[in-house]
Amino acid sequence: MLPKFAYVRPDNLKEAVEKLSAEGAMVHAGGTDLLGCLRDDVLDAGTLVSISAIKDLRGIRKTENGGLRIGALTTITEVSRHRLVNQKYKGLAQGASEVASPQLRNQGTIGGNLCQKPRCWYYRGEFHCLRKGGTECFAAEGENTFHCIFGSDSICFIVHPSDTAPNLAALDAEVNITGPKGKRTVKVEDFHVLPADDVMRDTVLAPGEIVTEIIVPPVKHGLRSSYRKIKARRSWDFALAGVALALVFDGDKVTDGRVVFSGAAPVPWRSREVESAIIGNILDGKTIRTAAEASVKGAEPLAKNEYKIGMFQGMMTEELEKIARAEE
Amino acid sequence: MKKEQEIYYTKDVPVPETPEPGTEPEPWGKTRIIGERVPRVDGYERVSGSAVYPSDVMLPGMIHGAILRSPYPHAVVKSVNIEKARNMPGVRAAISMDSPGADLQWPYNKEVSTKLFDPRCLFEGETIAAVAAETPYQAMDAIKAIKVEYDVKPFVVDERKALKSGSVEVHEGGNRLKTATHERGDVEKGFAEADEVVEKTFRTECEIQTPLELHGCVANWDGDRLTVWESTQGVYSVQSKVAQVLKMPLSKVRIIGHYMGGGFGSKLNASKYTIIGALLAKASAKPVKMFLTREDAYIAVGNRPPSNMTVKMGVKKDGTLTAIQLKGNATGGAYPAGGTALIDWLFRDLYTCENVRTEMTDVYINAGPARPFRAPGHPQGSWALEQMMDMLAQKINIDPVQIRLKNIPKVSQAREGNPPYTSTGLEECLRKGAETFGWDRARKEAEANNKKDGHIKRGVGMGGCVWIVGGGGPPSTVVVKYFSDGSVNLNMGASDIGTGTKTVMALVVAEELGVKPSVIQIENADTGTTQYATPSGGSKTVPTEAPTVRNACIDAKQQILKMAAEDLGLDVEDRDAEDLRFEGEKVVSKSDPSKSVKIKEIKKLNKRGLVMGIGYRGPNPENKTVNPFAAQFCEVEVNTRTGEVKVLRFLGAHDSGRVMDRLTYDNQVFGGITMGIGFGMTEWRVLDDGQTGKMLNKNWHDYKLPTALDVPMDMTCVPIELHDHEANNTGAKGLGEPVTIPTAGAIANAVNHATGLRFTDTPINPIFVSRMQDKTRAAEKAGKEALSKEARNKEEG
Repeated sequence: MLPKFAYVRPDNLKEAVEKLSAEGAMVHAGGTDLLGCLRDDVLDAGTLVSISAIKDLRGIRKTENGGLRIGALTTITEVSRHRLVNQKYKGLAQGASEVASPQLRNQGTIGGNLCQKPRCWYYRGEFHCLRKGGTECFAAEGENTFHCIFGSDSICFIVHPSDTAPNLAALDAEVNITGPKGKRTVKVEDFHVLPADDVMRDTVLAPGEIVTEIIVPPVKHGLRSSYRKIKARRSWDFALAGVALALVFDGDKVTDGRVVFSGAAPVPWRSREVESAIIGNILDGKTIRTAAEASVKGAEPLAKNEYKIGMFQGMMTEELEKIARAEE
Repeated sequence: MKKEQEIYYTKDVPVPETPEPGTEPEPWGKTRIIGERVPRVDGYERVSGSAVYPSDVMLPGMIHGAILRSPYPHAVVKSVNIEKARNMPGVRAAISMDSPGADLQWPYNKEVSTKLFDPRCLFEGETIAAVAAETPYQAMDAIKAIKVEYDVKPFVVDERKALKSGSVEVHEGGNRLKTATHERGDVEKGFAEADEVVEKTFRTECEIQTPLELHGCVANWDGDRLTVWESTQGVYSVQSKVAQVLKMPLSKVRIIGHYMGGGFGSKLNASKYTIIGALLAKASAKPVKMFLTREDAYIAVGNRPPSNMTVKMGVKKDGTLTAIQLKGNATGGAYPAGGTALIDWLFRDLYTCENVRTEMTDVYINAGPARPFRAPGHPQGSWALEQMMDMLAQKINIDPVQIRLKNIPKVSQAREGNPPYTSTGLEECLRKGAETFGWDRARKEAEANNKKDGHIKRGVGMGGCVWIVGGGGPPSTVVVKYFSDGSVNLNMGASDIGTGTKTVMALVVAEELGVKPSVIQIENADTGTTQYATPSGGSKTVPTEAPTVRNACIDAKQQILKMAAEDLGLDVEDRDAEDLRFEGEKVVSKSDPSKSVKIKEIKKLNKRGLVMGIGYRGPNPENKTVNPFAAQFCEVEVNTRTGEVKVLRFLGAHDSGRVMDRLTYDNQVFGGITMGIGFGMTEWRVLDDGQTGKMLNKNWHDYKLPTALDVPMDMTCVPIELHDHEANNTGAKGLGEPVTIPTAGAIANAVNHATGLRFTDTPINPIFVSRMQDKTRAAEKAGKEALSKEARNKEEG
């Protein structure tokens, strides 16, 4: 059952930022994650500031330099079906279409998808864990089948739940933010916060700040992108393991690009190990084997998620084989 | 004329002959409406939202109840303070163990009972206190304001650990509740005679019913009469339990459950919340809506017990089974709840074997009590038995279908005196199912694909089953009100739990009385106004109620024939009426077809307004048993790199006797397969064993029910419609449970066919497949190392 809260719906950004400066105010966009967090006592909001009336935050359009500007309120469905996204940024379109279920994609927004709270069942349940200001992480020694293999620093073992963020990070996209101190821009890659930096924060957003839009840079010549997600069931589920590829090819050779994992770490996890195994190489059997091994280098599996090691390697192999054959 | 066509489904077509009074008719020969594809009679109401389910009930002045439950799997309540809650805004009642009238006993069975609010909390979700307030929010706020002092105790939530010495004791005296054994022949002799013996240990995880409509009720008092709108599978069973606990006469307890949104066994009877709802209504002098939260429904109102089974079986080269041995344990949670119930049945009854020994130990743990779950025990047993059958077939190198065909019993081996079945379609299910599925070809194609290099493997698997009951039986009473215009009210106590009971019963009336289903109005599931029925469960509703409905129709027809005889000047006492037959819209003389009377013109019927036909369920045949059989077949695709398994297609071949309505029949088969896919591939309860003992996945995202994408588009239903004239007067047997029994085992066999890996534990999802592959790779590596070490040793030696 939802706790008590006030609700305001300003129609411009300035007013929204003002309202958000109040103690306990929170942004309400699609609400698919927020309402669940409120209902489960994960968050406590004094005021919900709905940004749904701010028209400027909607829609996808081309930027002057040929990239894309995606308004934060654009629904996941719109992203997954948009013509330009499908033509130029296949990985992002695939990522968006892998989110949750059709109903949730219709309601959820791209900005909200980046700002999601983790799905750890201790965090979401009746456990006063570190991330909620408690003194212990229950996943460390508990039921950690769905938890991370990278980036925990032995503090908090959540995996970041977003399917769009890894793709946006792989494409080197940026997040435009507006807050009480004005505007700023952060790379998607730097948008999420590791437990070692601050276990109580998921993103770099300061109080009162709102994600307004996402800027995807123009497509580099030879870019191929893809997203792959392995789930415990085939729909309405988060990644056990996932990978966003955005690779630049010159003929058969990979000349540049990024590899970002989902289901691996508390943030979308850039695998520089895989990148260095493939950049400068042709994706032949040997390179792919090396890359698959590199994908789990440094992984620190827990008692119940060791399966992710083999799963990431298998997925990496399959996806690199696929992208080697794919068209631009 | 026009009106008649609206009432009668066809003109001048004979309806079934009316048998002698007091005789049980033969099942129909050719039918006109029974067996057709008829949509649900209440489909519009259910889809449009106009159907009022118990959770939709709104009464004037109604307030809302909420229950405080133990957050610990094991604790003793030292004190409960409800005073603050009682004085909060909107709160009209607050009760706990100390409240007057709340000191009631709640029976789990004849021997074991607990208090309604028991200070000994043996599972997470045990009831502590309750409130009722004007809004659900006020009720929830008040629950949070209740102060409870707990003495938190150590717990055990894994039955395997609960059996170890030194374990925490759920109840004093140890966690071993009871051991059920069955023995026939001599298994040691059987193993000695076998050419091959296989032994393997299996585990099935705990599955939770999760019906769409939550558990709950609306309770209202009028003087000393209590009316409860309950989401239930059986209004009379709820009435009986409520009357027992509240010490009231049955006549003063009225339970209504016209519609309900699923139960799968977990709503066969009343629950503590029913009593709590009634107490809150009494205390507040208001109608109270008392529905559980989804989280509470996951922990407190039932589950399919997790099971551990070690099976050893022997087989001769020709496929003859020589011995079956089952040993294991399972848990029904913190109270006696049938943790091991019927897990052994398939081992004892499905395949021919002289030497059988089963021994299953029921164990207590600190978790929510189990409740019957669609085919209790059977899917668990089937998971192990069907995989064992395939393993034996591999050992002796024969086809999985063939080894099952080799062992088809003619009698029920598990029952005293080995009675024959009234009809047994196992062989035809296997043969016709395999043929329709294209078994041989699919197996060969999969094997050809798997010889290739690719990492996507294909597999084809199957399993057979019997269901322990499914024949129905007495008691049941049904009343048919035949109005003077030919339209009909059908009055029965049975609930339609979403399975299409009302539709099937309307078809029985239509078949027997010649009227269209659309003019039949059904009144059901109300202890105040409808007749006695047992709860809808055990796949017995159709074989119990349909023959009773038929008998009620026949009784009405017999009365109408007598009235018609008077109109036609025939001497009723002289049995001239036997010359008459009932033809739907009119009654006609058999010897002189020109002599007839239209039913709407029968004088006595018009004067009386209606004829009331009463039907009773007759006895089942003596020394025979009525059971449904089935075989299911499936094809899967396995990604050996990622562990993903995709079910490509499924086929269910089911012998449940006569098909009453082909649409509801197909619906049951596809629904059962869907649930079986959940049991075998996606669902499992996660308890925080090492830390808090709490359930971690009590929501619809973390507890993974299969979605539309987990279920194949390609599903086929093959009814094996044997003529069963002994089962009952309709020839129909139960269907709702066998449809989910062999599914998971068939999937495991298909995945084994694809990968060579044997999945002994549910669920087969990418996590478990990946783990199994890791284990296999590690074993291979260890094997290779051992071999090379051996070789080195040899060289050195």
